[in-house]
Amino acid sequence: MAQSVDVSKYEINEDSFRFVNSGKRITDTQLKTKGSSFGKDAFRRFCKNKASIAGAIVLGILLLLSAIVPMVSPFSVEPGAGNISEHFLQPKLFEAGTGFWDGTKEYKKSVNRDGSISGVVYDFENECPAGFYKPAVSKLVVDSEPTYINKATPTGKGGYMTFQTDNNDSQDNAVLYNYYQFPVTADGEYTFAYTMHTQDGVNEGSLGKFCVYLLDEETSEKIVLQDWTTSYNNASFDLSAKLTENGFTALNACRIYFEVEKVPNQSKYILLENLTLSCADETANANLAAISFTDATEMVNRAKVGTEIPAGYWQSNGVKGVYNSKIYYCEFVFDTYEEVYGRSEEVYAISDFRKLKEQGLCDFDEKNIIETFTVLSDECPIKEVLDVTKNHKTGKVQSVKVNVPKYYKMGYDKMPRHILGTDENGYDLFTLMFTSLRTSLLLGLCTAAFCFCFGLVWGSISGYFGGGVDLAMERFCEILGGVPWLVVMTLAILHFGSNFLTFVMALCLTGWMGTAARTRTQFYRFKGSEYVLASRTLGARDMRLIFRHILPNSLGTIVTSSVLMIVSTIYSEATLAYLNLGLQGTQAFGVMMAANQQYIQSYSFLVVFPAVVMALLMISFNLFGNGLRDALNPTLRGAED
Amino acid sequence: MGKYVVKRVLLALMTAFIVLSLTFILIKLLPPEKSVGTAVTRQTYYDNQVSLGYMTSSRFQLPDLQLVDFVTAKNGTVTYYYEVPVMEQYFKWISNILFHWDWGHSQFIEPNVKATVIIGERLLTSMKINIISVVVAVPIGIALGIWAALKKNTMTDHVISTTVMILISLPSFVIIAFLMLLLCYNNPILPTQWPNPTAPTSEKALGYILPVFSLSLGSICGYCRFVRAELCEVMESDYLLLARTKGLTRKQAILRHAMKNAMVPIFPSVLAEFIGIMGGSMILENLYGITGIGSLFVKSMTAKDYNILFVDLAIFTTLGLLAGVLLDLSYGFIDPRIRMGAKK
Repeated sequence: MAQSVDVSKYEINEDSFRFVNSGKRITDTQLKTKGSSFGKDAFRRFCKNKASIAGAIVLGILLLLSAIVPMVSPFSVEPGAGNISEHFLQPKLFEAGTGFWDGTKEYKKSVNRDGSISGVVYDFENECPAGFYKPAVSKLVVDSEPTYINKATPTGKGGYMTFQTDNNDSQDNAVLYNYYQFPVTADGEYTFAYTMHTQDGVNEGSLGKFCVYLLDEETSEKIVLQDWTTSYNNASFDLSAKLTENGFTALNACRIYFEVEKVPNQSKYILLENLTLSCADETANANLAAISFTDATEMVNRAKVGTEIPAGYWQSNGVKGVYNSKIYYCEFVFDTYEEVYGRSEEVYAISDFRKLKEQGLCDFDEKNIIETFTVLSDECPIKEVLDVTKNHKTGKVQSVKVNVPKYYKMGYDKMPRHILGTDENGYDLFTLMFTSLRTSLLLGLCTAAFCFCFGLVWGSISGYFGGGVDLAMERFCEILGGVPWLVVMTLAILHFGSNFLTFVMALCLTGWMGTAARTRTQFYRFKGSEYVLASRTLGARDMRLIFRHILPNSLGTIVTSSVLMIVSTIYSEATLAYLNLGLQGTQAFGVMMAANQQYIQSYSFLVVFPAVVMALLMISFNLFGNGLRDALNPTLRGAED
Repeated sequence: MGKYVVKRVLLALMTAFIVLSLTFILIKLLPPEKSVGTAVTRQTYYDNQVSLGYMTSSRFQLPDLQLVDFVTAKNGTVTYYYEVPVMEQYFKWISNILFHWDWGHSQFIEPNVKATVIIGERLLTSMKINIISVVVAVPIGIALGIWAALKKNTMTDHVISTTVMILISLPSFVIIAFLMLLLCYNNPILPTQWPNPTAPTSEKALGYILPVFSLSLGSICGYCRFVRAELCEVMESDYLLLARTKGLTRKQAILRHAMKNAMVPIFPSVLAEFIGIMGGSMILENLYGITGIGSLFVKSMTAKDYNILFVDLAIFTTLGLLAGVLLDLSYGFIDPRIRMGAKK
């Protein structure tokens, strides 16, 4: 039961009331609290969003770098300014030898998907990894176990020379013979020996039936050394004795022939490990050595050399090759900077050396040059004295061997450091990246600015007036918007060539419609609202309504979308570059990325660094854009408090 | 509704017609490329152009017309080929397509093979990859989105949302580059290039992984974000609160009420994407060496094989428009509350 209140005990009469502010003059008073403008309010809202702040900071840094780096960088990235000898240098931030980001590249052996091995082979002759600059190699570890390959490579060793019948239509047997003809005499102690191998593992049962004979090319006399056989034993023959046996005293132009029986549709082969021909006469022996071999890989390589030594062994109806050639892979660290910029030795006459001292570039005491040598100026070409040559009679210094580093000859004062490495043309990647980012940003800015202006006007007209005007404009947009931007770009590039202006034009052609549509929507939203109606009743004209009342309210979303358009333009530019339609003539970010893509395996830093910058740019732009959208949305004013 | 459908389809057809016409005329305005190869190949190509009505041939030099090329046959007769005025070509082109479905022949890529044949072969490859990636992306994306929405404002949600935000900002070529580096080069698990048709089946199957992965990654993120937003909105609605107050458990309320309504906008976007990405990702096809119509675009562009380029562009245009129409229409079919194109 609700309790009823007895009101009768409260006496209310006219005296209980009095007028507030009675007798005072009421005027507008200034607000006691501090007012907040739209901008301030937006900024406050923006600051509340941590992610957007982070995005804005990263974006700011990237923009700053793209503005500053091209100006202050010591490396030029103007088209054509690259030095090809400086290409593919590794990123270097610290001194060489620190092991991390120091301009070195680690070469390791790796196993491919098909089980084959890729790596660098050790070159025993030059005592360094094959094809590498020796002084720049460190931490070298050569495989203790060889890897066998069936190919003759300059760094390969040993193995067997294979001789295989081929699949041509000829019924003749395959023959292998030494190109270089040699004489054999009965009294010259000519001997011939070979080692053959019964190698399993190739194709069991495809070793062929073979014979060996000596043939004189002048008389076509044939002395059979080994009759047709399928036993692959070592064999040695006394050629002089065979000659006597067959009743000859001397043959002038002999060749050793290996003949392998041809079996239709089968590959038959023999494996020769080594072959020795020798005689008593020393000059003749040297000639025979050219066709003897102990290392099959070396023999096949020798034949490749061709001109100087008569080309080893020739063949008909057969194919010569190498089986189980031994190579040794190695793992090492290679200092790319040492190779390009490093030490180079030069000999200076002492008089020239003294001139440097007179010029005040360096200082030394002639009694002990090596230890007292000090560089006084960066202009001094000599950075180090390596050795001193003295006159062996007088003991006076004649010349000095010095280190004039290659970087000095290339015009640098000290060893350059490319913190992100260099690309295929020798451009410093860091400088190139931000120079091209500047171009791309400029492209984005131009496009966004045009689209913003044009789209705003178009959208305002379409949205404000509505009706027939709107319908016509909408249909136009619909058709133009139906054209894929790629088609527009393609046609524009085909017709006008690939340059900055074409890109801006083509991107604008399809780009402004987004802004226009957004503006139109905003106008539709606000044009019917009460405050616009009120203003109109008070006699405001169209222009005033558009620019004073509707536009400021809708500007937030439109500005945000325009800011995001910069990033989408950069994206479009990069996409085009990947489709071989990239911006030509200047360095653009996408073109650089697309060009570096082919080095993804060998120089992955060329792909990784630009990709990271691109990713940062996209993420920070999106975060910033989202924050901006919320901050500039007037309906969110005070919503979160 | 029926009227609206007809209107939309007609408008799309008209747009397609105008766009294709403009593209055709603009491409034909480019200086014609001379064919290369043997005299027979060139003559076949030019004769075909003549029969299609884009060129005229003559035994003599005609000074008034624009000479494209001349071919000296084996017996020594010289044939001169001249270009027909562009607008004349345009009307011939319309009749060729309408009455013969003849889109011309390839000039450089596979000389004298019909453009439709070349496209047909490659369209299949592109479609296979895209269908697989849609099939992979839709369930994963929706599941992740639901998960994130149900755990809204927890650690799970933050992790998913942040990852999605980052991945969605990354351009496809960056993603592909990193995936290739990770899966093909640093850890050689996958082939570095699209396997050629003679490769063994296992290799072919492995070849699908990278394209499907990189294509679906974007869609997964898109769906996830979309579903999360939709579901979060539905979860805060009054009727869900009512459902809970009636005594339904959270699970029941979500499954029977929230899910149904949240899924409404998902279906059309799946449909549109399905059509939209039929064209394939050009960049992916180019980088991974997939013989689809995306890489064909680049190939024909580089070779200046305009006939192929045109048909390729026509496919992209048509697919794009079709996706748009389908998207709009499906809204109406699925959710009767939405009346597309309705007056105020």
